[in-house]
Amino acid sequence: MNTQLRDIIDTFQSVDPQTRMELLLDYSKKLPPLPERLHAARDAGLGRVHECQTAVFLFIERESSDASRDGLIRIHVDVAEEAPTVRGFVSLLVRALEGASPQDVRDVPNDLVHQLGLNDLLRMNREVGLSAVLSRIKTEAMRGS
Amino acid sequence: MSANYAHPEVLVSTDWVEKNRSNTKSIRIVESDEDLLLYHTGHIPEAVKIDWVNDLNDPVIRDYVNPQKFAELCERYGISNDTTVVFYGDKNNWWACYAFWVFKLMGHEKCLILNGGRKKWEAEKRPMSEATPSYPRGKYTPPRKADYSIRAFRDEVLGHMASKRPMIDVRSPQEFSGERTHMAEYPQEGVLRGGHIPGAKNVPWARAVNDDGTFKTREDLESIYQGECGLKTKDDVVAYCRIGERSSHTWFVLKYLLGFEKVRNYDGSWTEWGNSVGLPIEKDYNPAPISGVPAQKKEVCV
Repeated sequence: MNTQLRDIIDTFQSVDPQTRMELLLDYSKKLPPLPERLHAARDAGLGRVHECQTAVFLFIERESSDASRDGLIRIHVDVAEEAPTVRGFVSLLVRALEGASPQDVRDVPNDLVHQLGLNDLLRMNREVGLSAVLSRIKTEAMRGS
Repeated sequence: MSANYAHPEVLVSTDWVEKNRSNTKSIRIVESDEDLLLYHTGHIPEAVKIDWVNDLNDPVIRDYVNPQKFAELCERYGISNDTTVVFYGDKNNWWACYAFWVFKLMGHEKCLILNGGRKKWEAEKRPMSEATPSYPRGKYTPPRKADYSIRAFRDEVLGHMASKRPMIDVRSPQEFSGERTHMAEYPQEGVLRGGHIPGAKNVPWARAVNDDGTFKTREDLESIYQGECGLKTKDDVVAYCRIGERSSHTWFVLKYLLGFEKVRNYDGSWTEWGNSVGLPIEKDYNPAPISGVPAQKKEVCV
């Protein structure tokens, strides 16, 4: 697991549920907007994560033009403003996996929602959507690697 | 605006809430959302948040909080037995109707729904605040027991099915047909079998709302439920979905907007039925079989 993600998990585990919720809310406010060049793809319905009740559009790119950063992953996501929980989780992933290798992405634990201590707050019904986003990121990052 | 509904008094408009929201002595506005954090990004200034998972569900067994816990919850939010509670929320009041249903289950008398919910309030650029208000503690006498006349349990639904009384499955057509419980490589929602309860009719819950989040007119609703589904207001109707939240929205529509006399929400819903051993399932979706046996168009497996 990369150190950014390890640090985030450690932080979440060291605080109480109320603070965890506030941390997630902070992340939700920091989600970078979807680059304009991907708007057309989103509007055409590409990249939609169907398991989420909320509209979530996910695009994974690889930086291959720069030889020194060959293969590094870039995650671009669009999540509706009215879904701050999903936004927060996705924003946390985007931050943790900034410039990550496909291997780093593969190493993200499948039970990340649990490791962050969010399962008690969310319970199964809400957890499923978040796990689906993570699963999609991992699947797409592995494609062709 | 809602004068011709069977019980128009349970709906209030955004204007009404705007005018009455400062009357926090006798009115408590409650936001109930699907999203755990949405309330904290901004809400009607006087509103408190009641969360369906963390407040209304029992933390251990699959049930709602008991009457004592419910009374404590109300007191914490400054709600007394005679407080008027106005519910609103995201997703066309989906969760607001669920909270409304749980309050009714617990016998709370004065419950209202803000027609149009959070969507309409925001669209009209009415006041929002990020600050969580607090109110003097309420005084709540817990109900002696929950009102099960609006709640159906599994074995009752089995009897309901056997006697061919009407049921409305409010999930998506894909869930109803059994096509969808999960997709390859993705986690599923914890249901082992797909399909619906034999005899149920499929009316996705959101058909009852307009684009602005308000409920459709009585005439439009009648053409769906009485027209398409052939229901009668004297019928004994059970509504269900996956965990009983979407169906509480339909329960509200049938009972209060259309005046059905006996409507129950089966909150065990598909996550109970589709996981139970030996219960009958009707499944319309039958992909090409692996064994070479031709697929049947419709299959009822009892």
